[in-house]
Parts: sequence; C-alpha cells; structure tokens
Amino acid sequence: MRHLQRPDWAPETIDVERPSVARMYDYYLGGSHNFAVDRATARAMVAAVPQAPLMAQANRAFLRRAVQFLTDAGIRQFLDIGSGIPTVGNVHEIAQRHAPDSRVVYVDVDPVAVAHSREILAGNDRTAVIQEDLRQPERILTHPDVRAMLDFSQPMAVLVVAVLHFVSDDDRPAEVLRTLRTALAPGSYLVLSQASDDGRDEAERAEAEEVYRRTDSPLWVRSRAELTGFFDGFELVEPGVVWVPQWRPETPESAEDAERAVFLGGVGRLGG
Amino acid sequence: MGEPADGRPCVGVFARAWAKAVAGTSFLPMPHAQLEVLLQRLTDLLAEALRAEPLDLRVGHRVADELVAAHIVSAEALGRTVEVIQLRLVRDLDLVADDIEDRMARLLGAVATGYARALRDRTLDEQESIRRAAMTARAEAEQALRASEARFRHQATHDPLTDLPNRTLFAERLAAAVDTSAGGGRRVGLCFLDLDRFKRVNDSFGHQIGDRALVAAARRLRRAVEPHLVARLGGDAFVVLVERSTGTGDVVAVAEAALAALSEPVVVDGHDVTVTASVGIVERRVAGTSPDDLMRAAGSTLHWAKSAGGAGWALYDAERDGREQARQELCAAIPAGLERGEFFLDYQPLASLHDGSLLGVEALVRWRHPRLGVLRPDSFIGLAEETGLIVQLGGWVLAEACREAVGWTSTSGQPPYVSVNLAVRQVRRPGLVQEVRALLRRTGLPPNRLQLEITESTMMTTSEEPVRALRALADLGIRIAIDDFGTGYSNLAYLRDLPVTELKVAGEFVRGLRTPEALADERILASLVSLAHALDLTVTAEGVETGGQAERLRAIGCDAGQGWHFGRPASPDHILARIR
Repeated sequence: MRHLQRPDWAPETIDVERPSVARMYDYYLGGSHNFAVDRATARAMVAAVPQAPLMAQANRAFLRRAVQFLTDAGIRQFLDIGSGIPTVGNVHEIAQRHAPDSRVVYVDVDPVAVAHSREILAGNDRTAVIQEDLRQPERILTHPDVRAMLDFSQPMAVLVVAVLHFVSDDDRPAEVLRTLRTALAPGSYLVLSQASDDGRDEAERAEAEEVYRRTDSPLWVRSRAELTGFFDGFELVEPGVVWVPQWRPETPESAEDAERAVFLGGVGRLGG
Repeated sequence: MGEPADGRPCVGVFARAWAKAVAGTSFLPMPHAQLEVLLQRLTDLLAEALRAEPLDLRVGHRVADELVAAHIVSAEALGRTVEVIQLRLVRDLDLVADDIEDRMARLLGAVATGYARALRDRTLDEQESIRRAAMTARAEAEQALRASEARFRHQATHDPLTDLPNRTLFAERLAAAVDTSAGGGRRVGLCFLDLDRFKRVNDSFGHQIGDRALVAAARRLRRAVEPHLVARLGGDAFVVLVERSTGTGDVVAVAEAALAALSEPVVVDGHDVTVTASVGIVERRVAGTSPDDLMRAAGSTLHWAKSAGGAGWALYDAERDGREQARQELCAAIPAGLERGEFFLDYQPLASLHDGSLLGVEALVRWRHPRLGVLRPDSFIGLAEETGLIVQLGGWVLAEACREAVGWTSTSGQPPYVSVNLAVRQVRRPGLVQEVRALLRRTGLPPNRLQLEITESTMMTTSEEPVRALRALADLGIRIAIDDFGTGYSNLAYLRDLPVTELKVAGEFVRGLRTPEALADERILASLVSLAHALDLTVTAEGVETGGQAERLRAIGCDAGQGWHFGRPASPDHILARIR
C-alpha cells in the first residue's frame, strides 16, 4: 500500500492539478465543488461511458434509500468510509432529518474533501471527519475522533459506498471488511456498492478504467459474486446484491433499465 | 377535464407531470414523493401569481430559487420546467384570463431569470467553498510538512536515548561559538564529562538499567548546567558548551554544578545506581582556537581527570599537554627509529659482592634521536608500554643483546650473562617462548647467559599463560629475575610457584644504608636475603653508589650489586675491555 511507504507522520502533498475522484463524483451529481482538471477528466469519462452521471446519481439515490432504511431500522450511528465531497443529500442530512440524535463519522483519504467536509460540518456536534484510508481499517477503528463519536458496543452502520472499485485486490478488500466487521456489535449493518462489469461490454469497461488511471484512484470493477462475497459474515437484507436502482426503489419506474447504473449495491446485517 | 371546487386534484396532476419531467435530470436528494410535494407547492404559487393583479414577477424568482435550493439544478431541469409550465399549467389548472399568454410569458421569463441567477450564485459559492477547502488542505499539509521537517531536524540533531543534543548539533553550536566574525575577543569553555566506570553499571545491572541511569544522568546534567548546551557524544560521554565565558571560573562553576548534580545516587527500578564523573575543562579566547583544538584539549584534560582517580575535574594545562604531545610524537616515531637503526644498547655491570668479579650486565636501551640527541628509556618506555609499541622495541632489545653478548669471551672463565627487561605485554604475548628459543638458536648464545627481568606486576594476572611461558623459558636454562623486588606487591606466593633464579632488590632499600635511620632498611634487606637464600635464589641489590653501601650489603650476605659504584651503563666496548 502506498501509504505504508512513508512514515505515518510524514505529510502527503496536496496536488489540485490532479483530478480527484471525489470532485469528479460531485460534478456528475451536478455540483460545482470541482476544478477544471476534475471536469475535464469527468467529461472524458462521459465520452467513454455516457451514463457516468446517471451512475453517480443512481448510486447517491441508493445511499439515500439505504440510510433511510437504516434509520427506520433504528440505527443511530453511521461510519461513512470514502464519503467524498459531502454535497447535498449526505448521510447526516438524511439520518438527522429523521433522527436528529444520529451520529455520523465521515472518512476520506482526499485531504481537500476532508477540509471541505470540516467546513460544511462545522457546528454540527454529532458529526466528525477524519482523513484516513479504507485500506488501513485499524487506523480508522482506533482513531480517537471515531472512538469519541461512535459507541462500538452498540449497533452501527458502516457505509462503503462507491469506494471498493478504487481498492485493488492486492489491497485485500475482503480482509479490510473483515477487520471492520469484527469491530462491530451484533445488529450492525454494512452498506456496499461498487461498479460492476456484470453483463458489461468489455471495450466500455477498458475505456472507463483507462480514464480513471489518470486519477489517484484507478478503477477495479467486480462481479456480483465478488461483491456478494464481501458481505461474508453478514445476512443480506432483501433484495440482496442488485443493481442499485433495484434496491428498494421508491417507484417501479425508477428501477427500470437498472443495469445502466453500472453499480451493484446491497445491505447486510450482522446477526447475533 | 373535471374541476373540483378547490382545484387540488388539478394541481396534483400538474405537479406529478412536472416531477416526472425533472426527475433524472440531475441528482435529487429527496424521495420522489417529497419532490411532488415541493412542486405542488410551487405550482400553487405559480397559479396564484397568474391569477393575481398585478402580476408579481418576484413569484417567478422565488419559484426558481426554491428549485435551485432543492438541487434541481441542471440545464435540462430548467428547459423541461419551462416546457411543462408553458404546455400544461394553464390547461391543467384551467386558468382563465384575457392576457393569460402575456402573463405566462412574463412569469416564465422571471422563472428563467431567477433560475439562472440562483444557479450562478450557487456555482460561485460552491467554487469558492471548494477552493477554500483546497487552500485549507494545502495549508494543513504544509504545516504538517514543516512539523515533520522540524521532527526530522530534531531526530538528526538529538540523541534518541536521552533526547539531549547530539554530536551534530554540538558541532554546529561549537563552530558558531568560535566563529571569530562575531568578535575574536570572546571566550568559550568546554566541559568534557565522562561517567566513571560506567561499564560496571551495565555489567552489574544490565543495559536496560544502564540506559535508564544514563537518561536520569542526562536529565540532571541538563538541569544543572542550564542555560548552557549539554550534548551526549555517545556512550557515557557528555560535553557542555559554555558560550560567552568570562573566564576559567565560569566553566569550573559549570563543571562543579554538573558533578554535584550527578553525585546523588539515581534510583532505577529499585536499584541505587551511583555514578561519579570526571570532567576535563578547557577555557580560552575564541581567537586562535578551533573546534578541533578545543575538543582535543578537552579530551586530554578529561584523561588527566580520569588518571587522577575520577570523580573530579581537571583544568587544561598547555605545558603539560605540550609535554604529553611531545611524548606521544616521540612514541609514534619509535618504529621509524628502529627501522633507521637509531636505537642502541648500553650495559651496566652486575658485580659479585664476594670478589668484585663481573657476573653479568643489564642491557639498557638508548635512542640516538636525530633531533633530540641521545634519549634515555624513561623518556619513551612508559608510553611505549601503554601503546603496545614496547613489544616491537623490547623484541629488538632482546635480539640485539643476545647478538652482542654471544661475542663476549672471557679468558678467566665464564663470560657475563646479559640481563634483559621483559615488559608485561611481551610476557603475555603468545609465541614468546618460540621467539626466544629461535633467537638463542640463531645467535648461538648459551641459555644460561641470558637473564630475563620481569616486574612483580607481570605476575599479577589471573591468566596461567605467562606462568607457563616463564616455566618453559626456565626449562631452557634461562635465568629469570624479579626486578624492583620489594616495591610492588611482593607477593611471596609466586616465589614458590615460579622458576625464579634471582631477586633484584630495589635501590631505595640500599640508598640509606649508612644513615642511622636505615636500620629498618637494613633489617628488611637482611630478611630478604635470608628468605631468598632459603629458597635458593640469589639477591642482587640495585642502586649501589658507594663502597660503604657495598660493604654493608656484603655483610648482610647479598650476592651481587649493581650501581654507579660498580660501573655506570657503558658501551659494549667498555664491557669487553673489562672482561679482558
């Protein structure tokens, strides 16, 4: 892992000349929290994969419905890893609208996204933001801000939404998720979504991967079986791992042409 | 199309169509039902505006603001909104007015204007906010970088164990302190401090306790000498830099403070660890000195403090340092001197006290130094012993003595034996026996004409090796003498165990033989002689200067004498002449 190659106290450099996947995602969602380099890369992505904005929107809508579901299920603690630029419709907005006592910790590796999150969340004492890497789950789990905000003896939801496709197999995503799982209390939930190549045109996938190679975060698409495997130890709630628009849609129409969303998603519950 | 009295279902129909039109144009952070509720309310606003007199265009702006605030922000969303309102609003709500087309056009114009304005503001706000975030992130990264650079710098300039400045930082500060550009009239001082026998602490308590004692000592030192810089040079060596000293007194005071701070025992893990320290002090004007000079001088001075027994300080003395340096230079020149044949031997007679005959001679090394003239051994042997050069030099003396002695023939019986001093290091060296054996074979000198003189301290060893070597030499027939007997430990045990043939009694017992207070000396001598004789050893008295002393010694029963009375050290020619 690249973060292990420097001493953990040595700083990263900030390079806004490189496109950031967090800011590209914001662009797909119609936001303006992005720079020219992000927009140029995002447009190249759209040229390769025309439905890229739709994917981002569908994924964000999935996040919204999943958080709504979790709030309804009584979850009041959320650990959102890979939260990106917290524009409209973020986890704390959804959760705290329904349950104001909900506590949310946002984790992202992108220092600009983290700084932006801190600015947006200033004054919200039920949220925290830390800069850490999903690939080092122990550091997240032992982070004092995380420990201060979340009670690991109580159920919580861990959200790893639209992030896993930036984690290569070499970085052992299954192990990362297992580490997170072992820290959770029974009754906790895991929300996953990631880009999938199920039934996908090979050329389109290659082109998308090529675009993301320009960013700090190359793309790793995975099959439905692989994503299902990531829920090891959890019981998938209905309807299981599906194209994200098919996950508990609000209207029947919104689930049409679901595979165009490219993202598979699901929610699992830790039994016991 | 039916129209209920309150018109609600019609509003609902229109709002649903509107919601369908804008859904999917951009991400909408709300469930579809909530979107419909919002649009229903906006529909009411629009319908009311179209009915009201006069037409309030601000309603159009407000509707646009609400759309943007609800994140209905794409270009498509505006286009479809204009389209759906134009096409369906009047029809669905059955709005009637003479100038309805005119009013609709102006209201839509206001919606579009307000939308563009709101979207522009929002875009600018978001751009500003992400730029601010980028700047914040960069500032934080730079701050972290500076902090890490400071940390790197600290690590590079501090000792990890004690966190005291290390040699690098000390060298920097010392260089700055002696930088004459800031005025050569200033004075600077150093206290070079070393814990006495600290190895023993490590040996008896273990390194972990030793390290913690060092940390404790470092902390005390730092506090005791504040604000002066104290650095750890490694091991148990520390140095204090006294900048802007006003004189020796300043630096002595610092040294005394340091020693006082260390004098209390340190309690580590329940162990009372007592350490004392030695300090070498140098204090001088900045002009004309250099960091290297200062450190070398401080190092020598520390060495003096250590040799004086430790637990104290010594002050640099240029004269003493000069002498020692000259001695060191001299010592370092020994190998080259040997190479160039600058060494030679004189011989001093060992005479029989019974008949005055020449029993043997002691070989004494001389150095014909090209610049300093002929040097006697006391000016170079001591340091040669310390540095180990004595092995090379002593080997030459032994070989040269054997080579010369073999040519001495006597017309009147046995020619004199030659007595050669062996240094401790020579005796302890493996291979001594083979070396001597080979030497005798090469020169042809009979073993009984060689006497080796060793000091008592040679035998003060726990090792068996020297004893075995001496026994092997004695077995060859070589004479073994104990030199300076009576001034060292005078351990009688080895007289029993060792193949010694002779005791050489130190000159100080002889010196006062004629004086009234010499009664004790005479008695000691007499007992030594009778002890030696009882053990079958001969006794040679050293330092015999007068005939009277020789007379007393003979009366006591001493076998032989050496000293000016019997002849000063002289060249081999003189010895030869005396034999004939």
